[in-house]
Amino acid sequence: MQRLRDGVVTTYSAERGVITAASQHADTALAAAELAQVLRHDHLGFVLFFCSAEYDLAALADALESCFPTTPLSGCTTAGEITPLGYDRGSIVAIGFDRRFFAIETALIDDLDHFELANAQRLVDTLLGRCRQQALAPINEHSFALTLLDGLSSREEQVLATLDAALGRIPSFGGSAGDDNHLSHTHVYIAGRFHTRAAVVVMINTRLPFEVFSTHHLTPLNHKLVVTDADREQRRVIELNGLPAAQVYADLVGVAPEQLSAAIFARHPVAVHIGGQHYVRSIQRVNSDRSLSFYCAVENGIVLTAMQPTPLLDNLEAMLAGVRARLGSPSVIIGCDCFLRRMELEGLQQLDQASQLLRQSSVVGFNTYGEQHHGMHVNQTFTGVAFGSLPAND
Amino acid sequence: MDLFQLTTNADTAEHSDALDTAALREENRRLHRVCQALMERVETGGSADGAPYAAFERSVLLAEQVRERTEALHRALDELGQVNTRLLAAKAEAEAANLSKTKFLAAVSHDLLQPLNAARLFASALETHALPDTSQTLVGHIGRSLKDVEGLLGTLVDISRLDAGVLHADKAPFAVSTLLDALAEEYRQVAGVRGLALHYVPSSALIESDLALLARVIRNFLSNAVRYTEQGRVLLGCRRRREGLEIMVGDTGPGIPEQQREAIFLEFRRANQPQGAHSRGLGLGLAIVDRISTMLEHPISLVSRPGVGALFSITVPYAAATAITSVPSTRYALLAEEAQDPLHGCVVWVIDDDLAIIEGMQALLSSWGCRVRAAATVSALEAASDGEQPAVLLVDYHLGEHRETGIDLAARLQRRYPGLASVVITANHEAEIKRATREAGMHCLLKPLKPLRLRMLLSSLLNKY
Repeated sequence: MQRLRDGVVTTYSAERGVITAASQHADTALAAAELAQVLRHDHLGFVLFFCSAEYDLAALADALESCFPTTPLSGCTTAGEITPLGYDRGSIVAIGFDRRFFAIETALIDDLDHFELANAQRLVDTLLGRCRQQALAPINEHSFALTLLDGLSSREEQVLATLDAALGRIPSFGGSAGDDNHLSHTHVYIAGRFHTRAAVVVMINTRLPFEVFSTHHLTPLNHKLVVTDADREQRRVIELNGLPAAQVYADLVGVAPEQLSAAIFARHPVAVHIGGQHYVRSIQRVNSDRSLSFYCAVENGIVLTAMQPTPLLDNLEAMLAGVRARLGSPSVIIGCDCFLRRMELEGLQQLDQASQLLRQSSVVGFNTYGEQHHGMHVNQTFTGVAFGSLPAND
Repeated sequence: MDLFQLTTNADTAEHSDALDTAALREENRRLHRVCQALMERVETGGSADGAPYAAFERSVLLAEQVRERTEALHRALDELGQVNTRLLAAKAEAEAANLSKTKFLAAVSHDLLQPLNAARLFASALETHALPDTSQTLVGHIGRSLKDVEGLLGTLVDISRLDAGVLHADKAPFAVSTLLDALAEEYRQVAGVRGLALHYVPSSALIESDLALLARVIRNFLSNAVRYTEQGRVLLGCRRRREGLEIMVGDTGPGIPEQQREAIFLEFRRANQPQGAHSRGLGLGLAIVDRISTMLEHPISLVSRPGVGALFSITVPYAAATAITSVPSTRYALLAEEAQDPLHGCVVWVIDDDLAIIEGMQALLSSWGCRVRAAATVSALEAASDGEQPAVLLVDYHLGEHRETGIDLAARLQRRYPGLASVVITANHEAEIKRATREAGMHCLLKPLKPLRLRMLLSSLLNKY
């Protein structure tokens, strides 16, 4: 793929209310300085960033805060970045929001285990109240929530369901933070530091037209697997069809259990079928006891349907074309792209082609450990928000 | 479909009953496990125990419902859109009907005003003739009756125009005395007939308003004051307020009870039915006042004490002192001596496509001592004029379907006869024509033509030369 030249790349869309920038510098101070050089201007109101988990996060936090002393920042660690040039690794990508177009307020949920509806309602009310004070655009129809969750917290479903109930008609989407497939520590960033076992809610109220979307390229096969033993707290499936889960899954895809890998999981996903739709439940890893850990909630008695991929690029291209048809050429798209999709693209050697598609549609974002869409925690999707432009006479 | 891949390979169970039995036992165990899991799932499914997967499932179902509701909402919006389209069509139809009604009314009134105009001119001319006293009285009655018809017609036309929104204000700066002096003179006589005294306090203030519409308002105040006051006096005067000049008409009539103060501004309402033969009008007067006040943005106020009297006023903004344009002065020069009468012997050309008007104007203007040449076309006029230089041109604005307007014709004649003073006469009360005549440096008089006003205008025009 095309590498970033001189460490920093940028797209200027100042007249459209957003500027995007990325830096390849491993040095946190240099990376932050490069972002600041591009993003800082008189009307910068908020910065959203996605960074590689390889960074010294404490140093990065200090560097970012000293480069953006008066601007609120939020972000998370990734399993790969989508910069203005396409897919990348080991970098940091950032989006600067112009306060003349965006009223943005953020909140931290640091106790994921006790996030009750009352907390959610208070949080949403506070955020909307602060957005309303900026009197930029009506709240209804002009706001959405972006959620960034610790991808290894195993609390996404409850937090999202609770938050979604409080958000009511306000659309939401987001991603679970990654850590370059180490599956050890994922972080979200708010108020000057990185947090684990936490979530960040970013309320965005904007004058720009926008559309929250989610797409995937998987279709169901006939095979069904019934979860006959599960550890719901650990998101672990111990048994499928009354046999060790890894064995049954390996038989299904036709490999030996010891050959199971993320690449296999990406190419042979399983999904639950609810209300006429299939929702992929991605497998995270095989455990030594031949159980399977998942990236999302599982339960005893759920029926998993074997899925197969259709051409990913075709699906991505069609989705982006649809967005263009409805919104016009997007000023920016923030994408939460499941890292398993990236893995599939790498396996098929289609990463450069995908990068080109993303670049053409001004997509920036990151590879996730799970995506969030309207309160649902989903896997193996490309979920995000596309911003259009203001009509010329506005 | 090999649903669960439960059947074991036939080879491994080959021919051995024992193996068969073991395999079947194993399959039975797994089916048992599957059944148990499914039963547990069915029985716990839907319970709100806060399990993570249940939360996910609820979100999915909720999202599903939201999708369905959104679709239902879209359908409802579509239907609403269709209803809206139909309503818009109906509204457009109603507006078109209203417009055609207004046009019809304007056309009818124009057609009515033409003969009425002629009749008024004839009556005025007749009054100057030496007639027996009895005939003179009758002629006077005819004149007054015609004036009443004219007033009623004008009121009806105005209210329909105001309602249709076709009447537009033509605001210009002028001295309030221009208006009030004339009105005071006019109503002093009307009040005198009813045995009332009219007190007029002149003001030198400059105001900015639509002269004709403002006149209509104050006329209404004065007419009402005179009509409802049985004895005492009527006051016309002004008070300088910070926000504008308050033009007031007070009377010593019965006053208006508190609870009727809003109602009297509605159509067809009158506070107290007046006694005697003076009762006239449809009760439209104050309804018009209210509409005009709204249109001009001149606030109206009413102060009244029942049994003591009423005081109506309208507050008009001041004009910038430098902004006064050449609005013809209508100060009365009525009793000027004959020898100094500028009308005497002056050449007045009249162009109108209505023969009755031509004859009426000829009679009226001749009675004032003017040398009148009247015709329907310029060529006919010039043929009859022996190369005389005209001093004043009176021209009808609407000269017929396919002819130029009075303004264009007057402009044409002004090029041929420099210094020709031009008066455009129109039955069309729209502000545009008045503005156009003013911009062309001409004067405008509305039909039905008031002989007194015409005479005043002619005097002031001729005095300039």
